Amino acid sequence: LGSIFARLTGSKVLSDTDLLPVLDSMKQHLMKKNVAKEIADKICEGVGEGLVGKKVGGFQTINAIVRQALSTSLTQILTPNTSTDVLLSIRTKLSSPLPSTQQRLPYSIVFVGVNGVGKSTNLSKVCFWLIQNGFKVLIAACDTFRSGAVEQLRVHVRNLSMLKESSPNSKGGVELYERGYGKDAAGIAKEAISYAKDNDFDVVLIDTAGRMQDNEPLMRALAKLVATNNPDKIIFVGEALVGNEAVDQLSKFDRALRDFSSASGKGRGIDGMLVTKWDTVDDKVGAALSMTYVTGQPIIFVGCGQTYTDLRQLRVSNVVQALLND
Amino acid sequence: MVLADLGRKLNAALSSLNRAPVVDDKVIDALLKEVCAALLESDVNVKLVAQLRQKVKAKVKAQFDSGADRGKEANRKNVVQKAIFDELVQLVDPGVEPYKPKKGHPNVIMAVGLQGNGKTTTCTKLAVHYQKRGFKSCIVCADTFRAGAFDQTRQSATKAKVAYFGSYTETDPVSIAAQGVAKFKKERFEVIIVDTSGRHKQESELFQEMVQISEAVKPDMTVLVLDASIGQAAEAQSQAFKDSADFGAIIVTKMDGHAKGGGAISAVAATKTPIIFLGVGEHLHDLDKFAPQPFISKLLGLGDMQGLMEH
Ligand SMILES: Nc1nc2c(ncn2[C@@H]2O[C@H](COP(=O)(O)OP(=O)(O)OP(=O)(O)O)[C@@H](O)[C@H]2O)c(=O)[nH]1
Ligand SMILES: Nc1nc2c(ncn2[C@@H]2O[C@H](COP(=O)(O)OP(=O)(O)OP(=O)(O)O)[C@@H](O)[C@H]2O)c(=O)[nH]1
Ligand SMILES: [Mg+2]
Ligand SMILES: [Mg+2]
Repeated sequence: LGSIFARLTGSKVLSDTDLLPVLDSMKQHLMKKNVAKEIADKICEGVGEGLVGKKVGGFQTINAIVRQALSTSLTQILTPNTSTDVLLSIRTKLSSPLPSTQQRLPYSIVFVGVNGVGKSTNLSKVCFWLIQNGFKVLIAACDTFRSGAVEQLRVHVRNLSMLKESSPNSKGGVELYERGYGKDAAGIAKEAISYAKDNDFDVVLIDTAGRMQDNEPLMRALAKLVATNNPDKIIFVGEALVGNEAVDQLSKFDRALRDFSSASGKGRGIDGMLVTKWDTVDDKVGAALSMTYVTGQPIIFVGCGQTYTDLRQLRVSNVVQALLND
Repeated sequence: MVLADLGRKLNAALSSLNRAPVVDDKVIDALLKEVCAALLESDVNVKLVAQLRQKVKAKVKAQFDSGADRGKEANRKNVVQKAIFDELVQLVDPGVEPYKPKKGHPNVIMAVGLQGNGKTTTCTKLAVHYQKRGFKSCIVCADTFRAGAFDQTRQSATKAKVAYFGSYTETDPVSIAAQGVAKFKKERFEVIIVDTSGRHKQESELFQEMVQISEAVKPDMTVLVLDASIGQAAEAQSQAFKDSADFGAIIVTKMDGHAKGGGAISAVAATKTPIIFLGVGEHLHDLDKFAPQPFISKLLGLGDMQGLMEH
């Protein structure tokens, strides 16, 4: 009966052999959009498993069906399942009641990632946004290694202070906390947080040195900074330009932070991502997909240029569109 | 070692060829599938990988048809291996000789590239490299855009004991570049390295600025500095840099990490420009010379298979 019904309505049951060539070309397509191979494989495999054995109407092409399923899958992967509202999170912490004997701790965010991805620049953009929202921000210069790292932040703080002066009705402001080069980053972050607490700062933004995910001593040092200071948010900064490395970078940063920041191996991991250099990749936005797939964590910000206002929220539908476009 | 992962995968693919009792289309297809997967995982451009697959197949077929295998399985394996090896070398070897600085002559080298890819760090490494080989070397910081750029150059050049030039107040990079190069030429420096701001093809004004700097300093060699972790954007970006700045060499940085540099390899193929050095760390001496053939041999673990490499 089933088959007669199928013939009457022109419907068909999807088989592996129907799907394979279409899925293969989808995989190629995703890789051209700079999705990591491993992730493209897994996503297409998932889409295939969801479709095989499904009865479909005769008027739909397999191509269109796969495309639709892929679009749903991409949307699901990219849609955050935790809040990306940093302002809300900051306000909640700052307004939560405290026992009168206790002094309020500022909200702290640490920016981590490999070399040159845009940590310091985008930290400054986040700072600009926080000042505009009326917060008093302290920037902690915890990259004590790379030449010019401290001066780079000093210039940003100078610029941001000037921008602030031109809008004096905002109560926000910014200061730099630095102890020069060669010192222990974890210790400087700790001092900065305590300085911020004593001087009524709302938020501390902690800049860290770039490091390769396989460099164990440097990864341990980063984990120590996290363990010592237990920041409210750990943001991984990654660039939209990165290819297959996205997977390795994120999984190793997350694992190293978890493993090295506590003896039980249950330390803190990455809370979210900031994807930079979005303006350099046209529609090859696959790195965003690789990053969210690996961590299951949301993209909190997108960096799309080199000025303070070039910070956006991720628009999931736009990304899905860009990934599917030919 | 660098690229060890890719090497292992390619190697595994080739040794599965060695174990196969007969070399038929099925075996070759399976081998190529594995090789291509390894290349794709290393960020080699998707189109390039597809081309490589076609070319190897065509080459192998032509050789078999012409009887180059003399009907022996062992020979057939060699034909396949050599075809793959040659195509891989082709990827990283455009067959172009890079510029070599000459003693007693002001050799101007200009570094260009995407934001954060390691230009400033590499400029100091290059200065140290040439200084060690007896060239009087210096750096001109023509990045007036990035916050703290001149401090970065000043600190790293000081650490490296290399002369440098730049300004905290001048905002025109073209003017600084011209001043710096003129000054160092007068002082008879032999390697004058001009560092520029990071930029990308989508901002045409930034590209125009690069062209103007280049016209002002007339570099003997322009170097594209490229991050090893770059993915599928590598080809379009490097092609755009080639069109505007006509770079004559590539330096791939951050090869000390886990990245396999396939994006950078695709840039070589797209722009027919040789890689001259690899950046392998954040320190002054973390710079390795690059040569395509030994690179691929090492990659494939073919050090002991000299016969394959004869052309
Ligand atoms: N086009 C573009 N460039 C960016 C963006 N974000 C940062 N950059 C540039 O990337 C370069 C590196 O940025 P930094 O903020 O110094 O990077 P970092 O991660 O702090 O670098 P290290 O501290 O050395 O590891 C600079 O030239 C920035 O202007 C972005 O969203 N788009
Ligand atoms: N691990 C590693 N890090 C590197 C290497 N080369 C550069 N870096 C790091 O990459 C980051 C960016 O390097 P820069 O030299 O500032 O890059 P840039 O291209 O001058 O950046 P912009 O001027 O902002 O475009 C720094 O943290 C460097 O220490 C390398 O070979 N290995
Ligand atoms: Mg930084
Ligand atoms: Mg620079």
